[in-house]
Amino acid sequence: MPQIFHPSMNVIARVGIFGAIFLVTSLVGGVWGFVRSPYMTEKGIARPQPIPFSHAHHVGDLGIDCRYCHTQVETEAMAGVPATDVCMNCHSQLWNDTPMIAPLLESVRANKPVEWRRVHDAPDYVFFHHGVHISKGIACETCHGRVDKMPLMWRENTLHMQWCLECHNSPDKNLRPVEDVFAMGWKPKESTPTTAELALARHVRSQTNCSVCHR
Amino acid sequence: MHHDHSYQTGSSASHGCGCSGHNALSRPDQVSLGQIGGGVAGVTANQQGLSGSSGCCGGGQSVAPSTFVELQTVQNKTAPRYWKTIEEYESDPAFLARAQKEFAPGAEWWLDQPSRREFLKGMGASFALAGLTGCTIRQPEEKIMPYVNTPENLIPGKAQFFATAMPQPGGAVGVLVESHDGRPTHIEGNPLHPASGGAADSVAIASVLGLYDPLRTKFVFKKDIVSSWTDFERELEARLTVLRAAKGAGLSLLIEEVLSPTLQEQIKNLLALLPEAKLYQYDSWKATGAVEGAKLAFGTDAVARYDFDKADVILSVGADFLAEGPNHLRQASGFAKRRVVNADGSANMNRLYQVETTPTQTGTKADHWLRLPPAEVAAILVAVAAKLGLDVGGENRIQSVADHEKWIAAAADDLKAAKGKSLVIVGPQMPAEIHALAHVINSELGNLGQTVTFVPPVSRIEGVNPGSLTDLVREIDAGSVGTLFVFACDPVFTSSTDLKLAEKLKKVPCSVYYGMHQDTTSKVCHWTIPATHYLEQWSDARAEDGTISIVQPLIRPLYDGRSVHEIVNFIAGVNASGYDTVRAYWAGKLDSNDSLAWEKVLHDGVVKDTAFAPVSVTVAGSAVTTLKSTFNVEPAKQSDTTVVFRLDGNIFDGRYSTNGWLQEAPQPLSRLTWGNTAWIAPSTAKELGVKSRDLINIQKGNATVAVPAWVQPGQPKGVITLTLGHGREVEGHKVVGVDVNSLRDTNSPWVTSAKISVTGKKAVLAETQEYYRMDGRDLVRFGTLKQVQDHPEKPSFMDVGHHHPGGHHDHDDKDDGHDHDKDISYGEGPGATFFPNWPMSDDPQWGMTINLGACTGCNACIVACQSENNIPVVGADQVGRGREMHWLRIDTYFVGDVDQPDAAYHQPVACMHCEHAPCEPVCPVGATTHSSEGLNEMTYNRCIGTRYCSNNCPYKARRFNFLAYNEQTWQLPVLQMAENPNVSVRSRGVMEKCTYCVQRISSARIQAKMENRDIRDGEITTACQSVCAANAITFGNVADESSAVHKMKTHPLNYGILTDLNTRPRTSYLAAVRNPNPTLVTVETEAHHEAEAH
Repeated sequence: MPQIFHPSMNVIARVGIFGAIFLVTSLVGGVWGFVRSPYMTEKGIARPQPIPFSHAHHVGDLGIDCRYCHTQVETEAMAGVPATDVCMNCHSQLWNDTPMIAPLLESVRANKPVEWRRVHDAPDYVFFHHGVHISKGIACETCHGRVDKMPLMWRENTLHMQWCLECHNSPDKNLRPVEDVFAMGWKPKESTPTTAELALARHVRSQTNCSVCHR
Repeated sequence: MHHDHSYQTGSSASHGCGCSGHNALSRPDQVSLGQIGGGVAGVTANQQGLSGSSGCCGGGQSVAPSTFVELQTVQNKTAPRYWKTIEEYESDPAFLARAQKEFAPGAEWWLDQPSRREFLKGMGASFALAGLTGCTIRQPEEKIMPYVNTPENLIPGKAQFFATAMPQPGGAVGVLVESHDGRPTHIEGNPLHPASGGAADSVAIASVLGLYDPLRTKFVFKKDIVSSWTDFERELEARLTVLRAAKGAGLSLLIEEVLSPTLQEQIKNLLALLPEAKLYQYDSWKATGAVEGAKLAFGTDAVARYDFDKADVILSVGADFLAEGPNHLRQASGFAKRRVVNADGSANMNRLYQVETTPTQTGTKADHWLRLPPAEVAAILVAVAAKLGLDVGGENRIQSVADHEKWIAAAADDLKAAKGKSLVIVGPQMPAEIHALAHVINSELGNLGQTVTFVPPVSRIEGVNPGSLTDLVREIDAGSVGTLFVFACDPVFTSSTDLKLAEKLKKVPCSVYYGMHQDTTSKVCHWTIPATHYLEQWSDARAEDGTISIVQPLIRPLYDGRSVHEIVNFIAGVNASGYDTVRAYWAGKLDSNDSLAWEKVLHDGVVKDTAFAPVSVTVAGSAVTTLKSTFNVEPAKQSDTTVVFRLDGNIFDGRYSTNGWLQEAPQPLSRLTWGNTAWIAPSTAKELGVKSRDLINIQKGNATVAVPAWVQPGQPKGVITLTLGHGREVEGHKVVGVDVNSLRDTNSPWVTSAKISVTGKKAVLAETQEYYRMDGRDLVRFGTLKQVQDHPEKPSFMDVGHHHPGGHHDHDDKDDGHDHDKDISYGEGPGATFFPNWPMSDDPQWGMTINLGACTGCNACIVACQSENNIPVVGADQVGRGREMHWLRIDTYFVGDVDQPDAAYHQPVACMHCEHAPCEPVCPVGATTHSSEGLNEMTYNRCIGTRYCSNNCPYKARRFNFLAYNEQTWQLPVLQMAENPNVSVRSRGVMEKCTYCVQRISSARIQAKMENRDIRDGEITTACQSVCAANAITFGNVADESSAVHKMKTHPLNYGILTDLNTRPRTSYLAAVRNPNPTLVTVETEAHHEAEAH
């Protein structure tokens, strides 16, 4: 019986099979990597704003508390973005002649809001509540990073569900005393209770029911 | 066309003769099959093949192969114990075949009106979307736009609640409006308001959609041309200047009843300023019987109010007091309080004797329910009066109801035995003498001042006596109406055609219609000016008991409307805003020591101590003699069919007809949506050869109206009931239903006689009663108070008809019930299971009970659920295919004979949150899962639309978005404003269902966690629960032994449905208990109950 395949088919088949595996793997891996790339997640990419507001200056240099602007962060779902009149508390006197804050003055003059570009944007089917996280001892820094070192805001984390679940599965590793949640660059002191103690005191437990975030 | 599905309501002889040539267009789903055309014929044939094999053409159920049909066959040895439709009662084979299907035939078709253009449009849109996602694979960027100046008391993202009042016909109902960032989204009752008591009805709840109604008049119209307020003011001011100089001669105002004290004052002032101006009042819904009856009995026009919680015995003569009238919420709550059976079997239960013409919701709750033609309904009261020893004559009338001698005697005896604790109530549409007789009887029984009190009419303006619509027409004919302002809602549509109002209005030189829509009336008026919705205006309004609420706006007028106060100011030449006018009226009237008095009144939603002082009344000495002479006149005999008119429970006289939530809420008893029918008794239908959906001609004089017939169990023989309010023409809105006003007579607007003839045509109706059957198992349980008290720990009717697949449950063991007492949340079940037992954590375990004894089937829960959970309106065509999206449905089960059912039970059914949920294991993508709190969760974004879960749900509680029902909402931003921001809006291809209002649970959980405490009992109320007037729904943590819901779950009347499937539903029901008079419990009834017990 004559051979159907030429001996070179051995090589072609090997290359073909391993090539196909390689191709599929690299395609899957590529997509996997792509959706996690900063291009897609915008992690670490500073977003230009109509006014180049610097958290680094206001928080890092001046030491203004988070809650001065994000007034409702301790109790409400949304942290709240300051109204123009909050900015004007200082800027009616300070730097009010610089072109940098011209849009702010325009907002006052025209009674029109400043259009900030949203940096942290969970999808619409995710219902996030700032207040409950703060009250359990999850610090601003844990999700938003070292805001005091960000001249312009960027996403410190991907906001992927996987990332949420890392903490929702075992929340205690990120806990700190409630009075320290607004601190930046915080390190536990010797007197600080352990995270397990904090979790017990604040009744913090894993929250992984779908309806906790999706409803 | 296949005939297998033909619709049969005929005698058993016609069973299975689907081949007999009946028109197969008898059901909407069949129309759809026919319309879809050749391409799908194969599927049609396939489906039909199934029904064919179930013996449809074979002539009986005996050859039926399926378990379900076998089950039916077993049950059909005797008539079913309870049933939803006549087809089910008669085991119509076509029906049985349909019932086997998960969805109505045609439900899977993607597009409805099978037009190629639509299809291409849909495809185009899909491609466009695909293209879009292709371009923007990254998350689209959003803007954050904070306020310029932070408003006081407004926290972005946090709901606010405001008290206001909805002026409803007859009296205002206090409501609490939920507002999200300035958008009113949801309405519940105001607990401080006397007419609400915390409950709300479907009309009030749906009014929030009415606010955003895109069909509302958005501009001032001069004839059909868009004009402006400036033009209107200029032209009218010229006229009014002349009129004011002439002291108003030639100026006429047509108003509806005025509930607002401010407006009453304004009208008084206007008439003082312009003494020659004429005022007319027209309330299409108002019957004159009650007012004239009170005048006849007492010589005053006082209005009766009833305290149902104080009454031991109630005789209702044609009064649907649980569902109709400005006070029905308070009445329903009072009545429900007296239907409570405690866990130890003790009860302070009332007894209701109901005699009426059209079967009503109140009738279904009665202990003794009679349905008779209108004349005989009246005669029953005369006979009861005679039995009570009143000399009222009317021998002939009493003779006409001699068949019901026992009933009458029992009612009279019970009334007599409960002197001072009974009440007789008469329906508003009954004649004056019957109202008067009821007053006399109540007086005789010592009920006046006890269960019946009297207040002045709520809309009376001191010193002003408006004319009627007939007077206005006469004046127009006389040419003395020069300028007419119409404030009534669409009077051309609602008035009976014999007035020819449209023609008359055309004769008025200048007419202005103040309304929310461009409708039949605006067509014949010179000007149409946009009215404000009550959520857009400052006003005030009295409840029926006189209590005043300030009506405060939740939002600025969306469509350039002005309030009625502003228009009356304009006529009077006063320059003041609505707010100023209301404030000016209240200046000095509130507590002057309290600088925050106004704020407090706004906060509470009621002005304290403004209820009317009760009017004391005494029966005039001559009343009985007058009545006697009236009753001695023999009523005129008529040969034609009696026709009764009723206001629609949802859209009323047509004023709410553009509201999709109300149109789609299934009407009680018939479960019909989007349209009206002529209710006809099964026996009469048989005589006429009419079936449901047959168009019948109703002819009276020159007017003939073709209305679809509806064979309604319980409808009395020889009487047709027609529903008003349908067929109203509104610009931009498809006409829904049939306008029957042309059959009405101004002199006798509620009862008439007409000739009926069959047209041979069929109508397409969208009715939901037949859908989502649960295979005739042990679904509703009911019994008598006596049965409860004989065995309080386990009443006999609680141990019936239960199927135990494994023979696990031994019926003969009397102590058996105790085994199941541990299963507090599920009722009985086989017990053995591979699944782990709940609760698996110490989280709260959510559960619900629904008291069937309290539920009146009023639909408030359905509409509240729709509003809270962003449930779309799907339209008549989609409902006709069984695609309605309501998460909560109410199944109505009749008991007894088809022509004269003994009773009906309403069973609200939503997702049961089964602990062993059959839907969960079949989901291939884990979109439906169980939470540690016992919730059966639905994660919309995971759902890929396999519908396996719905297939596997024995309760048929899941709803699938066959189409993008929310598309309209996405395209009309104004409708987006009505959405609840805390609930995801679902898209096409996604399954959804009741979540126990998980957003409310989440919100309470977060609040509790922030305060580092547990969730308190009663902290969470579901949307359906909080609007229920009868308090039928209890929700809470079943694992908490002190919770209200735990108490209900351990109640001996608690049971779960389909528990033999071992689903362990978290929602359970309390059996309905009635309190019939032992002397009226017939031998058959006893036997029936005995049969139930075994």
